[in-house]
Amino acid sequence: MTALTLHLAGRASAGDRPVFGPLALDVPGGRWTCLLGPSGVGKSTLLRLLAGLSGGVRFDGQMAASDGLPLAGRVALMAQDDLLLPWLDCAANVMLGARLRGLAPDPARARALLADVGLAAEMRRRPAQLSGGQRQRVALARTLMEDRPVVLLDEPFSALDARSRAGMQDLAARLLAGRTVLMVTHDPAEAARLGDRLLLLTGEGLQAISPPAAAPPRRVDDPATLALQGRLMVRLMAA
Amino acid sequence: MTLADRHIPPAPDALFDAEEARRARMKRIEGVAKWLLPVLVLALGVLAWDRVVVWNDIPHYILPGPGLVLQTLVKDWAILFDALLVTLQITLMALAVAVIGGVGLAVLFTQSRWAEMSFYPYAVILQVTPVVSIAPLIFIYVDNRLAGLLLCAWIVAFFPILANTTLGLKSADHNLTDLMRIYRATRWQRLRYLQLPSALPYFLGGLRIAGGLSLIGAVVAEYVAGTGGIGSGLAFRILEAGYRLNIPRMFAALLLIALTGVVIFAGLSFLSHMLLRKWHESALKRET
Repeated sequence: MTALTLHLAGRASAGDRPVFGPLALDVPGGRWTCLLGPSGVGKSTLLRLLAGLSGGVRFDGQMAASDGLPLAGRVALMAQDDLLLPWLDCAANVMLGARLRGLAPDPARARALLADVGLAAEMRRRPAQLSGGQRQRVALARTLMEDRPVVLLDEPFSALDARSRAGMQDLAARLLAGRTVLMVTHDPAEAARLGDRLLLLTGEGLQAISPPAAAPPRRVDDPATLALQGRLMVRLMAA
Repeated sequence: MTLADRHIPPAPDALFDAEEARRARMKRIEGVAKWLLPVLVLALGVLAWDRVVVWNDIPHYILPGPGLVLQTLVKDWAILFDALLVTLQITLMALAVAVIGGVGLAVLFTQSRWAEMSFYPYAVILQVTPVVSIAPLIFIYVDNRLAGLLLCAWIVAFFPILANTTLGLKSADHNLTDLMRIYRATRWQRLRYLQLPSALPYFLGGLRIAGGLSLIGAVVAEYVAGTGGIGSGLAFRILEAGYRLNIPRMFAALLLIALTGVVIFAGLSFLSHMLLRKWHESALKRET
């Protein structure tokens, strides 16, 4: 799998109301980029544009991957909502993509991935029978099953309690290593732990912030990470 | 707990246990009451009916007592059972046609805005026009008696399925619709894997209403048309018994119709529960 670098430059508007931009965003290949910002600055819109979901938003500019091919079909999305089909069990949810593409599903691989996220025993359960954290782990397993080079994360862990969130961050960082990840978050602690590259999006535009020296996922009690978290919070509150 | 621990007072836990036991007991009592109370009401009602008839010496051609109705049900079982089969046959066929027609139109309406705009108003008109007033016309133009009966019952029964299924197909979660787009699902795949399962609870709600309505439709149509050529249904037996002042048989036939309706409703509720129990909010047990 080649690590794709993403590049987006332009502005977006809904009707005559500007949503974001003009701005230029680079997402380096094979790294984890965190896009942090207050609500309403267009973080999620930006992510959805990259995912090919315009949803009534007009984008003027360019969006490209480093190999020059279109992004459609090469991105996976994990959102705050787990996006699981409630009538399918975990295994069937994980194999949904293959089924839609008309390929023979691969139950052995689905089982292995569910085991990777610690849900081997929950294969046959429906989402309603799982906890919020477990559902997000199924969503992560499905994202891995899809095996896309680009993974877009839209505050995927924000609905979880602090302990499950930290656990999910470690798990996601380990399992998504080597892919191009863009994560939208409003949580400075999450950004400080996970980002190879940190971007702050405010009304004024996009600013890069240098991450701590340690490699992500950084320890929750790493002093440099905690200090950065404090600085990010100050910048967020000032924005 | 080992024997050695026994002397330690089981302080706060005991409170919880008492509370839990009390709650479990209430739940058991409620479970029994759910069945016992309606049965009790029925028994009291039947008893009151019987006493009113006996104490007032009401003749059986005006109001038969419950005992006589039961006797008639047994005595006339051969006639009534045959009639029940005819009515049941029309009801179930009408329900099947209502499901096919209702779901088919709902899918058509959600796939094509133009089709919905063109035909939905007429579906509403069909629904709000009393079937009793359309039925005589239907039997003038439709020669086949069975087809006429089915058409009447269908007109009454298809609308709740159409309306509910249309709502259900449109209620698929927007986030999941986006997911389908990311997976580049075709229109047909979106229908098959997302919209139809999303609509299932709504469809089943409509089906339960339609089950009762198709029985009503079948009975009403039979009242209007009779069942010449395909045997006599329960409605025809009621009319006939009325002309002969055989009031006990009217009651017996009525009892069978009501029971049929209840059985249809219970059957469809059971089907709904079995299909939804693992995933839909309406059927999930809360673990609290």
